[in-house]
Amino acid sequence: MVIESKVPLGFRKLAITGFAAANGPWFEKIDGRRAIRGFLPREQHANALGIVHGGMLAAFLDSALGTAVFHALQRRAVTVRLTLDYLGPGRVGDWLQAEGEVVGHDEHMAQVRGRLYGPRHDVMTATGTFALLSRHRSLDIRS
Amino acid sequence: MVPPLDPANDNPPAGFLRIDFERGRPEITFNSHVGTLYAKRGEKGTRDEFVMGFRVQPHMCNPAGGLHGGMMMTVADLVGTMGGGTLAGLRKFLPTVNMTFDFVAPAKVGDWVEGRAEIVRQTRSLLFTNIYLTVGEERLLRASQIAKIPSGEGLAFGKARLDRSAQPA
Repeated sequence: MVIESKVPLGFRKLAITGFAAANGPWFEKIDGRRAIRGFLPREQHANALGIVHGGMLAAFLDSALGTAVFHALQRRAVTVRLTLDYLGPGRVGDWLQAEGEVVGHDEHMAQVRGRLYGPRHDVMTATGTFALLSRHRSLDIRS
Repeated sequence: MVPPLDPANDNPPAGFLRIDFERGRPEITFNSHVGTLYAKRGEKGTRDEFVMGFRVQPHMCNPAGGLHGGMMMTVADLVGTMGGGTLAGLRKFLPTVNMTFDFVAPAKVGDWVEGRAEIVRQTRSLLFTNIYLTVGEERLLRASQIAKIPSGEGLAFGKARLDRSAQPA
């Protein structure tokens, strides 16, 4: 169970399924033009060193960048390229937040910059390239 | 709820053994939490082959039913540090410094995904690798990684080993 008292005011739990649900819960707060995602890592999110696994951090920041695209452009998007710089460890039990900012876009692609940070320090920065889906289009899955 | 992991229907191809990340410790790490991961190694004592593999299960997918990018990134990260480290003969934990991922194709439930690392260059303190995730001949993900090689002994990656008990006779 997540210790609910560690979740700051204004964050609501996301209704998600699959990979994100199995590795959450993830939270979100809409603050004007910003969409901020939050997450409280536990032991199952840690690697052999006891710090939060880089793959978990990558998935979480990727989701925050995708949300930033949706919030700014009202378009769903899929990640085409993601570049991550790992700056410091994410600690189990620390409330982590991630947010992104759309720095440019055309009809088909969006460029996003983002960061993931804990209560004391930056954990990761990212730049992402997202392909914008046409409205109402569902995701194609390779058959 | 976290769906229960059911490695029973993974049916790994010949030569792949389950990676035991815990070695009897009660708490599980993220590597076990995301799903059962397998690896194929060359003959004991050799270090010229390392392939990681997993069967795509529903708990690894996004709401559209495709393999979640977070799962691809998690496995690619591991293939770079564990696989690249194995190829380089480094038996310690390599923290990732930078990774770039290109998501070139999706995968679906039931696919067998394999990950391979290629060492680009190894310096005293850094390991540069390229990583591909594939289903059959098709590439899903291209990644490039820079990992730190800690000075001194570092933490051995010996906590993970291949579960040879499941090996068919």
